[in-house]
Amino acid sequence: MRSLGYVADVPIEMALAAGLLLALGWRGFGGYPRPAEELGCLSRREAAFVASAAEALFPRGGAVPPSGLDAGVPVWCDRWLAALPAGTRRLVRALFLLVEHATLVFPAPGWDGWRRFSALDAERRGAVLEGWRTSRFFARRLVFTSLRAIVTQGYFADPAVLRCLGLAPREIVPPVHAADALYPPIGRPRSAIRFAAADVAVHGPLDRPPAAEPLGPEGPLHADYREAAP
Amino acid sequence: MIRVFADYEPEHALRDEADVVVVGSGPCGAVVAKELAEAGRSVVLLEEGPPFTPEDFVLDGALSMARTMREAGLRATRGHVMPTMQAIALGGGSLVNSAICVRPPAFVFDEWAARFELSQTSRADLDPHFDAVESFLGIAPTPDAVQGRRNLLFREGCEKLGIPSEPIPRNVRGCRGSGECFTGCRARAKQSMDLSYVPAALRAGARVYTSVRAEQVLHAGRRATSVRGRVVAPFTGRPGPAFEIAARAVVLSAGCMATPLLLLASGLANRSGQVGRNLQFHPGVAVMGVFPERVDPQFGATQGMQSLHFLRDGYKLETLWAPPAVLAVRLPGAGLALKERLAEIPHASIVDAIASCHHSLGSVRPRRQGSLEPALHWRLHPDDLPVLGQALRTIVDVLFAAGARKVLPGVHGLPDELGPGDVEALRRQRFRPSDFVMAANHAFCTTRMHGDPAAGVVDEWGRCHELDNLYVADTGVFPRCTSVNPMLTGMALAHRTAKALSGRL
Repeated sequence: MRSLGYVADVPIEMALAAGLLLALGWRGFGGYPRPAEELGCLSRREAAFVASAAEALFPRGGAVPPSGLDAGVPVWCDRWLAALPAGTRRLVRALFLLVEHATLVFPAPGWDGWRRFSALDAERRGAVLEGWRTSRFFARRLVFTSLRAIVTQGYFADPAVLRCLGLAPREIVPPVHAADALYPPIGRPRSAIRFAAADVAVHGPLDRPPAAEPLGPEGPLHADYREAAP
Repeated sequence: MIRVFADYEPEHALRDEADVVVVGSGPCGAVVAKELAEAGRSVVLLEEGPPFTPEDFVLDGALSMARTMREAGLRATRGHVMPTMQAIALGGGSLVNSAICVRPPAFVFDEWAARFELSQTSRADLDPHFDAVESFLGIAPTPDAVQGRRNLLFREGCEKLGIPSEPIPRNVRGCRGSGECFTGCRARAKQSMDLSYVPAALRAGARVYTSVRAEQVLHAGRRATSVRGRVVAPFTGRPGPAFEIAARAVVLSAGCMATPLLLLASGLANRSGQVGRNLQFHPGVAVMGVFPERVDPQFGATQGMQSLHFLRDGYKLETLWAPPAVLAVRLPGAGLALKERLAEIPHASIVDAIASCHHSLGSVRPRRQGSLEPALHWRLHPDDLPVLGQALRTIVDVLFAAGARKVLPGVHGLPDELGPGDVEALRRQRFRPSDFVMAANHAFCTTRMHGDPAAGVVDEWGRCHELDNLYVADTGVFPRCTSVNPMLTGMALAHRTAKALSGRL
């Protein structure tokens, strides 16, 4: 029996097979880079996957210049995931895991398509996602729709994207409603109520005209959506 | 008196008693609480969610849903996978719906009467209750001033095709046309229950406990005696101290997905076996039309125009706007092609149809024995497919008549985009249930009213057949879908339940 010289009892074929498995395992599941931002909820693997999906779905340039990465989709996704109930969070994580590693079983186009999704080049990521989107199987289309829904929500959370499209919310200064003197902001004590009865301008459902000044494109943007001063 | 989470003492159980305890502060529960309090009854209103102030609203659609919806807005049916949402907030769904208030036509109630042995639930029987709710809330058609171009295009398209359309009546006063109904009205114009019925109930002496989850209705023989549960932290649901409210009557208004689970967890009112069964929805299909000119669709009432012309055919048309991120989810493609389509949103007008899918039934069951988390099963029945197909074709016709240069149907098996020349191909298309990407936030019938105690859970006044003082007031009591948006019908029935209950106390 041939064997490695320094480990006399291990056949060389077995050692090669183990080495190959290790290499494949590393290629499929290991070596994820540390995320660029500090994340509280997403693991390294999940962050790498979300970043690559965001790049594939929203590459830089085109009709809306910011890319998914410019828009900070992984950071948004981290915050959103933290806000989910535990059971729902597990489902979302399973979705990420599924798409990230499905190409290890059903490879992307090309001779070296047996790579995890985040290790594919941009062109093949696009081809993989298109396969999910146009599948004749409802379940596969559903996976694509769910993933794209998450990434799209993160993309649109960037004020720059809504500004590019002219869809950013406008500033609204509401009249003080009777209810505003009843409830504190969520999680705060009663002392956090900002208004007293004397401040109230609207006392009941019939206390206003049916229509007020309509909002329009010329109105000032909501403070969170204004461009930061240089 | 209203209590919020910060008011509860962590180590002390909460106890109270009242003539009536109402579980759930959505449109139906809030009506019951206000009417009974104004009738001089002592009322306790329980709500699992917190009250939202304008500074609690967030404009990011997904984060907003994570704060205002159960399961972060990601709840879906099994069987045919379809998203469906349930709010968790003071005011319930009224905080985040588009305020549509429509009376169903008489034929809807005639069908209810004929099929479910109901003799006193005709449209004429309910009109006084519709009147009472409409006049309290100041429900009025959406004024032209806040329709915005997006809604008016629908009117133009309908006019060209000879289809009657009308401004949607809404519980809104002082609308600015921000199109933000689904993330909470920053203008404080929408008369959601937290701004209207709940403050009125408080003025009349009701006690409102928020951030409390009802877990069990206790009973002795044929009488409900109290509601028991726990204080829960906003958003996290972390359990706090226990509570128990003793009452002479109990009204469950937790919504048609939670009320049946509360009944099942309490072992009540299910001798008929109907609790949690017969789940129906109004599945919705939506189509985006892209116009040559800029529409600025974010301005204008979220849903400002409708057509009731096809109700007998099984569908209702209405205009629609939602946070752009939510709309973009339905756009086809990925990469730069997707970005091209995003850039068309400012030129878009969206029309949706809600369908009366009478053949498609489902169920609400606890995920685990005794759990209050629902497992929803529902399947789109093949016999309901023609309604969805016809609705889709009508929407496309209206959008092209209004001047759209293309439409994005969002239906599997159809091209991503259709031009005016593709309409004939659409007419020939045969659909399968899985072709449609639908959503449904109108849900009904899981504790349905029926004249026969063996076939339903409650009688025409909302009282459980098996108990003398346990009532249900939410859309679960509908025996069949309403064909129109259900909020106003639920409130009218709740108004009637409150009047009946007040007379019996």
